[in-house]
Amino acid sequence: MLLDRNLAESCIDALKKAGADKAQCVLSVQDKSEYTVNAGKIDLLRTTENGSLTLTAILEGKKGTLSLNELDAESVARAVDEVIGLAQISQPDDANDIAEGGEPRSFDAGPTEPDLGAMYDRIENLLEYSKAHHPLAIYDQLVSDFSSTDTLFLNSNGVDLRERRGIYSVNAMFSSREGAQSSSFNYTGYRSRDTEKEIWECGSFDRLLRENGEQVQTETLDDKFEGEVLFTPDCLGEFLGTLTGFLGDGPLITGNSIYKDSIGTQITASSLTLHCRPTSGEIVSGYHITRDGTLASDATIIDKGQLLTHLLGIYGAKKTGGQRAANDGGCFVVEAGDTPLSKMIESVDRGILLGRFSGGNPTDNGDFSGVAKNSFLIEDGRVTQALSETMLSGNIAKMLHAIRAISTERIDYGNAIIPWLLTEGLTISGS
Amino acid sequence: MEPAELRTHAHLFDDYTELRVQQNRNVGLTMINGDLVRNARSVQGGVSARVARAGHWGFCSTPEVDASAMERVVGRATTNAKVLAGRSQRQGLGLPSTAGKGSYDRQTDQDRRSQKELIEFLQAIDAHVKDTYPKLSSRLLALTNLDMQKTLLTSDGAEAFSMTPRSLLYLEMTLEAEGEPINLMKAYGGLGQFEDRFGDPDALFEDLARQYEHLQNKAAGIYAEAGPKTCILDAELAGILAHEAIGHTTEADFVMGGSIAGQYMDKEVASPMVTLVDFAHTALGETCPVPVHVDDEGTEALDCTIIDQGVLRHYMHNKESANHFETSPTGNARAFLFSDEPLIRMRNTAILPGLSKIEEMIASVEDGYYLMKPGNGQADTTSEFMFAVTLGYEIKNGKLGRGLRATTISGVAFDMLKTVSMLSDDMVWTASGMCGKKQPIPVGMGGPAIKCTVSLGGK
Repeated sequence: MLLDRNLAESCIDALKKAGADKAQCVLSVQDKSEYTVNAGKIDLLRTTENGSLTLTAILEGKKGTLSLNELDAESVARAVDEVIGLAQISQPDDANDIAEGGEPRSFDAGPTEPDLGAMYDRIENLLEYSKAHHPLAIYDQLVSDFSSTDTLFLNSNGVDLRERRGIYSVNAMFSSREGAQSSSFNYTGYRSRDTEKEIWECGSFDRLLRENGEQVQTETLDDKFEGEVLFTPDCLGEFLGTLTGFLGDGPLITGNSIYKDSIGTQITASSLTLHCRPTSGEIVSGYHITRDGTLASDATIIDKGQLLTHLLGIYGAKKTGGQRAANDGGCFVVEAGDTPLSKMIESVDRGILLGRFSGGNPTDNGDFSGVAKNSFLIEDGRVTQALSETMLSGNIAKMLHAIRAISTERIDYGNAIIPWLLTEGLTISGS
Repeated sequence: MEPAELRTHAHLFDDYTELRVQQNRNVGLTMINGDLVRNARSVQGGVSARVARAGHWGFCSTPEVDASAMERVVGRATTNAKVLAGRSQRQGLGLPSTAGKGSYDRQTDQDRRSQKELIEFLQAIDAHVKDTYPKLSSRLLALTNLDMQKTLLTSDGAEAFSMTPRSLLYLEMTLEAEGEPINLMKAYGGLGQFEDRFGDPDALFEDLARQYEHLQNKAAGIYAEAGPKTCILDAELAGILAHEAIGHTTEADFVMGGSIAGQYMDKEVASPMVTLVDFAHTALGETCPVPVHVDDEGTEALDCTIIDQGVLRHYMHNKESANHFETSPTGNARAFLFSDEPLIRMRNTAILPGLSKIEEMIASVEDGYYLMKPGNGQADTTSEFMFAVTLGYEIKNGKLGRGLRATTISGVAFDMLKTVSMLSDDMVWTASGMCGKKQPIPVGMGGPAIKCTVSLGGK
């Protein structure tokens, strides 16, 4: 589908004519092509096209938002009237606002069309490679897609930003089976601008497939102890998402964030530096426009353990008196540490190598508990048996203060670059 | 909205074809501490076609819904299937057919409330909570409505229309305890549009008082002791157990992908007290939270008894998996958006009730926990599961004791179900969750309270 700039401009004009003090329009079109592997076979080729128009109107501080994907003139005219109506019945709130205007900017990255032949070949190669190198592996599902998304952001303050991105993405869920024994499933994925590399060469694919085969035979612990936990990059990425969740609008507006008064203070050990780099060339699935329509820029969130910024949007910043963040978060780049992974393992007396954490969402105070999945026991500096039915509990804030080491090695997933991280003081218990 | 007219496009079908017009309409309101932070509506609709040829599937969708769009999506889906068929040799799918027909419109008969009236509904509840419970450090209310409307025509004769609405109100209250925020969320509502689910705000106040009391007990509560314990899992937890830990392992695509349930057919996997069913639309004489009469492949939806008196008897199927296992499709193929292909999904998964009273179940526990409300949950293809528990109490000498701070439970479902020793004689459905499996989808979960042994994650 093609993006119709006139449509977006006419929406801003119509919203202003209808009485909006402030108006915003986000018009997006997307074409997607996707192969799906089910039960080990390339089963489906799916192509979709879609559009999206999101209109926001603010009248006397009252805000309404409407989204639709019917982009014909009649539907759009109806949507303009409806969003004005939504704003009229809303509550006034001084924090409702839109981005300040600036110079028009346009960003373009990645291919515009998929190489469907290459995508198919890469999947077939992976299935063949797996048979030879990971013979126990079974792909429950593998999705390889290419999407091209073109987004135009206009508002009545003069914001005029456009971004087109073409990205390949592969996500897989797999398990391993030997006779009557099965491993836990695991999953992984990566983003890329091209199809040059084989799938198993990207992200964590090859390592996780190998480890999954070693997890067919597991043992359970019969005791409970306070131990060390070595987070794999796959698992650490999810915890970083949880951590930055505490820094966003919702928990800061409610006042429930444990980090609400922590800017400028040490919230982790000094070995951790976390950046969100959506505009960096390192991150292929980055972005240049925030959800509020401001220009995104890279930011350091935690510098040597010190919290430098929350991740507030315009509304959250105005509501809390805080500062609007440079970006919407994500696109994590964690600085490499100074300890090789092998040395980190050697330093562990008793703990676990945590491949995946299946846990409840942490409570507002940071407490979490759940099951260590796809994980191994580490004893006397060696990775030993694969584990099952092993519970893990702790507190995110305390865990991050107790970081002992960060690896020199990092994994590049295309949407994040993350090392291994060793911490201690977590409760590990068997069934 | 009227059903889409699809029959005139049947001439486009050369191979096995599904043509679906779908529209999802959403209302979303969120209020934090009295501020309306979200006041939104959205509509997402279009047409899709899925075609099977020589053992491969092609799919295409577009948001436009007119004759040329129908021709385009059928043509492109056919081409996609041909592209795959050209790359690998495979036998045709031999899709079994029990073509469903009918119209299932659950639009309310009542006058529709305006969005302004919905905002006033939230304002009234928020004002009550603020005035009645001044010690709360924060309060959050969210009202959502999803109307999912589908019209389907298939080349094997299915022709169906459905409009399935779901309305939910979430209330989260937070208290400070020793400087830490402790919260509790409750969801109200289910099948139906707002007018059929909610009346006066006052009708909720009695239950809100109970929730506040639970929150106070949780804030003053203790951490569960880690390790295996005798527990009474209340109905909501039994429902999520049925869905996550058993349901997913018995979805036939997961079985084909290596689920442990593949080895257990016709074997004892639970206490003989346990019967577990994925209901299509009606259970024990009542309409289920997510009624499915004809699935998105056009199959007439039937109940699927997964575990019958402790023995694993059936998997949930779409047409392709039914063909693989040489059985009949069960009507479990469901898609979330017009642009999504149907996947094997649960509908209304429940453990059937037993004969005990909840009071006698609690009285039978010397040292354990009464676990009442789940948070999120996950399960493995090995049936190993984990659920967050957001509300619970200790049981000492047959009596409820102190409240619990948040914890999790875990275990291997096919082992844990063998420890079930009592089932309550009532049954509660919940329909507030979205199940995630490539696509989200509304599902219903239900069950009685169950007594069993399960591992807890402590502090």
